[in-house]
Amino acid sequence: MDEEDCPELVPIEKTTDGPSSQIPVTIITGYLGAGKTTLLNYILTEQHSKRIAVILNEFGEGSALEKSLAVSQAGELYEEWLELRNGCLCCSVKDNGLKAIENLMEKKGKFDYILLETTGLADPGAVASMFWVDAELGSDVYLDGIVTVIDAKYTMQQLTEEKPDGLVNEATRQVALADLLIINKTDLVSEQELRKVRDTVGSINGLVRILETQKARVDLSQVLDLHSFDIKDVTRLSEKLQLVKSTHPHLDKSILTVTVEMPGDVSEDRLNLFIQDLLWEKNLKNKEGSPMHVIRLKGILSIEGKGQRVMLQGVHELYELEETPEAWGQEEPRVNRLVFIGRYLDRDILRAQFTTTLLNKEDSKT
Amino acid sequence: MAALETRECETEGCNSEAKLQCPTCIKLGIQGSYFCSQECFKGSWSTHKLLHKKAKDVVNCVEQDTNTDPWPGYRYTGKLRPHYPLTPKRPVPGSIQRPDYADHPMGMSESEQSLKGTSQIKILTNDEIEGMQTVCKLAREVLDIAALMVKPGVTTEEIDHAVHLACTARNCYPSPLNYYNFPKSCCTSVNEVICHGIPDRRALQEGDILNVDITVFHNGYHGDLNETFFVGEVDEGAKRLVQTTYECLMQAIDAVKPGVRYRELGNIIQKHAQASGFSVVRSYCGHGIHKLFHTAPNVPHYAKNKAVGVIKPGHVFTIEPMICEGGWQDETWPDGWTAVTRDGKRSAQFEHTLLVTETGCDILTRRLDDNGRAHFLSFM
Repeated sequence: MDEEDCPELVPIEKTTDGPSSQIPVTIITGYLGAGKTTLLNYILTEQHSKRIAVILNEFGEGSALEKSLAVSQAGELYEEWLELRNGCLCCSVKDNGLKAIENLMEKKGKFDYILLETTGLADPGAVASMFWVDAELGSDVYLDGIVTVIDAKYTMQQLTEEKPDGLVNEATRQVALADLLIINKTDLVSEQELRKVRDTVGSINGLVRILETQKARVDLSQVLDLHSFDIKDVTRLSEKLQLVKSTHPHLDKSILTVTVEMPGDVSEDRLNLFIQDLLWEKNLKNKEGSPMHVIRLKGILSIEGKGQRVMLQGVHELYELEETPEAWGQEEPRVNRLVFIGRYLDRDILRAQFTTTLLNKEDSKT
Repeated sequence: MAALETRECETEGCNSEAKLQCPTCIKLGIQGSYFCSQECFKGSWSTHKLLHKKAKDVVNCVEQDTNTDPWPGYRYTGKLRPHYPLTPKRPVPGSIQRPDYADHPMGMSESEQSLKGTSQIKILTNDEIEGMQTVCKLAREVLDIAALMVKPGVTTEEIDHAVHLACTARNCYPSPLNYYNFPKSCCTSVNEVICHGIPDRRALQEGDILNVDITVFHNGYHGDLNETFFVGEVDEGAKRLVQTTYECLMQAIDAVKPGVRYRELGNIIQKHAQASGFSVVRSYCGHGIHKLFHTAPNVPHYAKNKAVGVIKPGHVFTIEPMICEGGWQDETWPDGWTAVTRDGKRSAQFEHTLLVTETGCDILTRRLDDNGRAHFLSFM
């Protein structure tokens, strides 16, 4: 060993990167044959200058030791491996899959985008929860949005399929959770059939943006960088919320969209109790006595004491209230707008409950 | 978390900004060898190289064929090294009831897996509560036995052996054993190890801080607790860290009562830790515990978390904050278990299993003697 020789110095290793270099994760879901893979391949080809990771079939139930993912870079596609079995799956806050991706990026460099394709039967909400981590965790990735691809020809059949035990049918859930819905293979149906599909999916999810394609050819600026779960999307959300209307079910036992719009300021405490009752305790029932089941929740609220608009985001039981950089205008009337997507939702009851969160005359006396 | 701080050249008398590092130091895990230029470095080479020799001597130290470099190329974050090989897996008498993962080839728990992802928190019946009270008392006895052994010269494996025997003597299965293939009966975490340290041949050194995490399985229930101990005389920084960590846990416990949201506990812990200039580990959290080792609820220890659920009577869960002298970022050793701080600075932890009552909570794993004081308090 020549330890006597003075070695060449090397540049100091940078420690952790700041949160500004977070990588978006897009979840792509939809039934087999709808066109997810076609969409993925299209993205990879069009974005050939970017380094994109594609993970197929979300993470299994803890039995896999490794998972392959494909990385596309400079037009080349190669395989990488995610090491999943890293000891304690128990008291770890981050999902194993998420940690595996972060570890890989640490070793092999960051990706520009991560696309996660889920199987047709997956609950994209559960996968979303994996990636919708607390900002405080300082993760390298953030959840950008859920893209659902449906087949214009077969989707009506898939949406109307009855499940045993009255469970929500996967196709419907995938539409309900979508931030972007791509109706693919429009060349295979008539205008009338297409309109029916549009109306039906619109009744399930009043918030989603819908694109219609053939062979999954889309304008990628509509698919990537959606920021559907964070405050960067606040202006677009504001506008959207003003346009969305409550829907009526087109299908039996269906998921639908309910909007609530009310002027005033809310008490943060009572707001949290309202959301908790709805999402965690599932105390709120519709007129037939069925507990309301909210799948997706978005809103912009005016909270007492805060000059900025507050964004509300929720997926299944997870929810977050975050102050946005957008302030309420001086002369602007403060109107709270919420959109609920789910089952057994009752607009009147939701409105009544939400009213309890608003500040009334008694509050302002203190 | 600061990005790049400007660093000063190591050379005596040189105050220039340092943007270069000694590669041999990186390889040997010596922190902070920053220099401003090759020439300056060459100038101090004769004294600097002594650091390499010193580090290599430590690494090459072979006591009875101990291997402290099982993963060549791995860059350790601090001074601690594994001391292999480990003793063979300790058997548990067949008469003792075993959890489902004990005999699974990968140590997986089917019962836990089937409930993965649910946030429904179990409300225990009176019988179940009794089961938990019993197992937690036994877990406390085992920890108290481990506490007596903590002194310089004792290896963490020796403590693990005593723990293993203490468990079996009480008709308990040591829960960590084979849990996802964990090789030992308790976790021993020294200095920069945040949690899940594997007991090995390393002898405790004067000045170390050591956390021993005990979980036992008895009559179908798990009881979980841990404490950080001083090994001999420790520095003021260690005392402050350990004291603050204990206070974080106790303040969080004080807040536990029906109606409080689980996510609130992290706010309390982080506030207190930060006030003393410490950080809170984010990657590991408290958890529900009863018939399953780890289950809902998830109890993060950091502020502004999205934990789901409201505390209700009959809930049983742990709070186990891990507090660090430096940054909170963690990484895992190639053994797949040992979690260490990325900056190599020390981390302390305390844990209790709690039962929520109508008015607050019962600390099921509380110490019954010495007025319920944590062990370290006798040595402050």
